[in-house]
Parts: sequence; C-alpha cells; structure tokens
Amino acid sequence: MQILDWLFKVPTGPAPGTAAVTAKDRMRNMLTHDRLELPAGKLEVLEEELTAVVARYFDLEPDTTRFDLKQIDRKAALIANFQLVRSKC
Amino acid sequence: MCLVDMDIGLRNLDILMGLENRVVYNLVDVVEERCKLRQALVKDKRMPNLSLLPAAQTRDKTAVNADQMKKLCEELKSMFDFVLVDSPAGIESGFQNAIAGAEEAIVITTPEMSAVRDADRIIGLLEAQKDQITQYRLVLNRLRPKMVANSDMMGVEDVLEILSVKLLGVVPEDEEIIISTNKGEPVSGTDNTRSGLAFRNIARRLRGEEVPFMDLDVKNDTWVTRIVNFFNPVRV
Ligand SMILES: Nc1ncnc2c1ncn2[C@@H]1O[C@H](COP(=O)(O)OP(=O)(O)O)[C@@H](O)[C@H]1O
Ligand SMILES: [Mg+2]
Repeated sequence: MQILDWLFKVPTGPAPGTAAVTAKDRMRNMLTHDRLELPAGKLEVLEEELTAVVARYFDLEPDTTRFDLKQIDRKAALIANFQLVRSKC
Repeated sequence: MCLVDMDIGLRNLDILMGLENRVVYNLVDVVEERCKLRQALVKDKRMPNLSLLPAAQTRDKTAVNADQMKKLCEELKSMFDFVLVDSPAGIESGFQNAIAGAEEAIVITTPEMSAVRDADRIIGLLEAQKDQITQYRLVLNRLRPKMVANSDMMGVEDVLEILSVKLLGVVPEDEEIIISTNKGEPVSGTDNTRSGLAFRNIARRLRGEEVPFMDLDVKNDTWVTRIVNFFNPVRV
C-alpha cells in the first residue's frame, strides 16, 4: 500500500531535526563565520562584553538577552536584543 | 564555441568528449609559442562549431600566469561567440588563471555541506572581482530528488538561500553520465536522459532563453505538484 501511503500523506515542509534542516542550520552558521572570518567563540565573548556594558546603564530582565547573526544578501547583521527593566542612571 | 581545459597537469575534457586521440598541441604549447592557437584547437566529432583547447598533461599550474591567460582569452573571444573555461578545483593559482580573462562565471556545486562551503568561498572571490566578472550563476549538480523529498538532503531552494545566488540550472544525479563519459559522448547529446536535458536547458539559459525550472523541493510538495511530477518527472 505504498502508493496509498504516498498519496494520503499530507504534504508538509521539512520537519525540524531532519538531516536537511540540520545541514541547512549548520551551513548558515558556518558560512556566517566564514564570511566574516570570525573565529569560533568570539561572538560569545562579544556577547558577554556587550551585556556588561548595557547592564551598567539598565537593569536587565534575566536570561532574555539574545544575539543573532543574520545574513541579508551575503552581508552579515548582528542583532542584539536586551529586555530592559529600568534605568540605573 | 570553444572549451578551454585549464586543469593543467590533470587533462580530462578530451576524454569526456572522446577526443583524446586527436590532441596534438595544448594550452601551454600555445602560451609558450610552440604552435599557433589554431593548431592546438581540437574540433569536436559531432558539433563542427565546438572546439577544445586541451590542457597540458605533463606540466603543472605554474606553467601559465594570469596575464598570459588574459591574452589567450582575448584571442579566443575574437574567434568564438562563447569561450568556456573549465577551472581546476581549489582557490589558488589555477583558479586565478582560469578567471583571469572571464566576464561571467558559472559556479558548480553539489548540495553537500563541504561542497556548498567551497562554493561560498569561490563566490566570495568572484564578488571581489565584480568589476571584471559582471555576473555569476549557480549550477547545482548531483541533486537526488528522492533524498530531498525525504528531507535527507538540502534541496535547490535551501542551497540558493544559503548562498544568495542566482540559479542557472539543476543537474540530477544520473548514472547515464558515467555511461556517456565512458563512451566519450557528452550526455548533453543524448535523448531521454534527465541529465542531458538539464545540460541542454543550461545551454539555452546561457544563450538568454527563459527556460522554466522544475521545483524538486519539498517546500513545494502540494497535491498539484505531486500529480504534475508524477506524470512529468523530467523537467530540470
Ligand atoms: N550529475 C552526476 N551524476 C552522476 N555522476 C556524476 C554527476 N556529475 C559528476 N559525476 C561524476 O563525478 C565525476 C567527477 O565530476 P567532474 O565534473 O569531472 O568533477 P570536477 O568538479 O572535479 O571537475 C564524473 O566523472 C562523473 O563520474
Ligand atoms: Mg573538472
């Protein structure tokens, strides 16, 4: 009944955790680092330092800080998101 | 149209085209002026408008430099409508020589991670030569539609998105390619092969024709595409 399985399986996009999706995620991450010539681990250091700077000015919501390197047309963008509670100044 | 084998030391286009017995002179002989360019060109057996400039087999990549390649390409451009230079693997002098005279580039990769990473590196180098190389497009080779459909492998859309590059064509994995290279008859000349059709479509797109792509990706897995693909699985 393979034909029937094939016909009645509802078409969906690739599921997370499949080899294709894993490969794509790894690729994206790797190429972002390659293109910037960014050594592994450096982003984490920057994240710590930046967070420390922002924390001098604001109380931050704990565990909400997010750093993302996004690719926009082969150019990288660093997107940082801090959730602020109140000013310390 | 002229095909230039730039893989000096590892000559192979003559074999793929079944012309290995007709090679007398080669690219290095031309550059070092042991023969005229016309004497080194080997005419294809089937297509009178197609010529091959073979690589040298006994020398290495240092036998020519970028200036010599530029001059050679200029001369070929004046003789042919299209000059296609096959670059050796790598990003060193062989690659730099191969692009020295180029106006456009075709980047060929497979949907595997290591190959895509290499392609990204090549694209970075091409981007750095934007003034000279005005456009580059991607050919995705050895695609296995079934594995893509099972999410076992990245598909066309995935690779295009990762590399942010324009698509020139998709060539499926096809045993016919091995059969045809063994016979010395390029698969592009064979009827009823998926890869042959893929190569002919690429050629038409290079000439400026709009040839539709087939979506082999899971993203487009709908009832309609399933039925269309079922009855017409060979558009590439
Ligand atoms: N689409 C394909 N389907 C099946 N085999 C292929 C395909 N493309 C390449 N190959 C195999 O891989 C070999 C190497 O391919 P080639 O294009 O010469 O690689 P390179 O990138 O080293 O120039 C070919 O001789 C052929 O046997
Ligand atoms: Mg090759």
